[in-house]
Amino acid sequence: MQFRNQKPPEKMEPQMAPMIDVVFLLLIFFMCTLKIISQEGDFNINMPAVAQAQTETPKLLPDFKVRLLADVATGQLVEIRFGQRSLGTGPRAFQLLQQTIKEQIAGSPYADEIEIEIDADFDLNYEHVISAVSACTGEVTGATTEGGRRKISRFVEKIKFAPPRQSQRSSVGG
Amino acid sequence: MRIKKTEPTHAEIDMTPMIDIVFQLIAFFMVISNFEQTQADERVRLPTDVLAQPPTVKPAHELVLNVGFVRDPDHGIPKQGPVVFHNSQFCRITDTDSPAQVLIYNRSAERNQTVKTVPFAYRLEQEKRLFFDRGVNPAEEVTVIIRADTHVPTGLVQKLIQMSQEPFTGSDGSLQDGFAKFALKAEQASDNRAFQPRGN
Repeated sequence: MQFRNQKPPEKMEPQMAPMIDVVFLLLIFFMCTLKIISQEGDFNINMPAVAQAQTETPKLLPDFKVRLLADVATGQLVEIRFGQRSLGTGPRAFQLLQQTIKEQIAGSPYADEIEIEIDADFDLNYEHVISAVSACTGEVTGATTEGGRRKISRFVEKIKFAPPRQSQRSSVGG
Repeated sequence: MRIKKTEPTHAEIDMTPMIDIVFQLIAFFMVISNFEQTQADERVRLPTDVLAQPPTVKPAHELVLNVGFVRDPDHGIPKQGPVVFHNSQFCRITDTDSPAQVLIYNRSAERNQTVKTVPFAYRLEQEKRLFFDRGVNPAEEVTVIIRADTHVPTGLVQKLIQMSQEPFTGSDGSLQDGFAKFALKAEQASDNRAFQPRGN
């Protein structure tokens, strides 16, 4: 049986306006909460407790020793010494340290065995130690990798700290 | 002549491309915004370095230690000694080098307030025991991530490392080795800022 007055089905039009409202709100929310922070990276240091370290096999090469001297009052770097050699201070000294280590490593057949010991004054500001660790471990080459990251060539993997020295400051304000 | 009346055309805006783009933008910002609880702390201003690149492989177990200062409201050079921020408490690393109390600004009361610091050694041992109880070997499987402020004296960071290395007594009474893997955090710097100190 046919009905004459059968209407064609009504077209359901989705309501766009509220959806767009919500979508814009979301967009603004995410835009506002976005925090532009520079990425953090890390330097790995393997430092087992002393008892464990003693059981290791004797090393072929002595450690490279990097000494960092600090101004007691401000904690600023005064001098970098590589072994007995003074390298001065400031960014230039770190570059010199980087170059020196690179040269030493380049001619050595035991490059993987080399370990660098950083011996810093107690009061030295931590940022200088990070610079020293960075200068000792590697350098940024001009090229970038496929992922857009800068290519880093690492020459030393093993870094350790000498036992902490005594603080020269009288006390900590607080 | 009769002109056929045409119905006025309804000028409708095509919404589809706009919605497409807006959705894409939302997706972008959702991906970018970092809701993950990185245990980062604002009171710690990390040193910057060119070689600091985010690790490609995240360690399976990590313990983040934030060492920094309770700074003055004007963000000047900290006059108070460095403390470890741990579970919303201020902890002293050693009694001689860390302050016994810190002055903080209480925003709701609008005045300064002194807060006593608590010794960190005991808390660190608890952390080791917690890992051990969960079946994780602190010496082999846990990386201690040290986020220290640029101005923290190096010796204090070294002492913190020493404390982390110390052996501890597990809940079963056996003597276990402390942490052995450490990662020092730094913020990524551009190439032309190599070895430049960050300042305050």
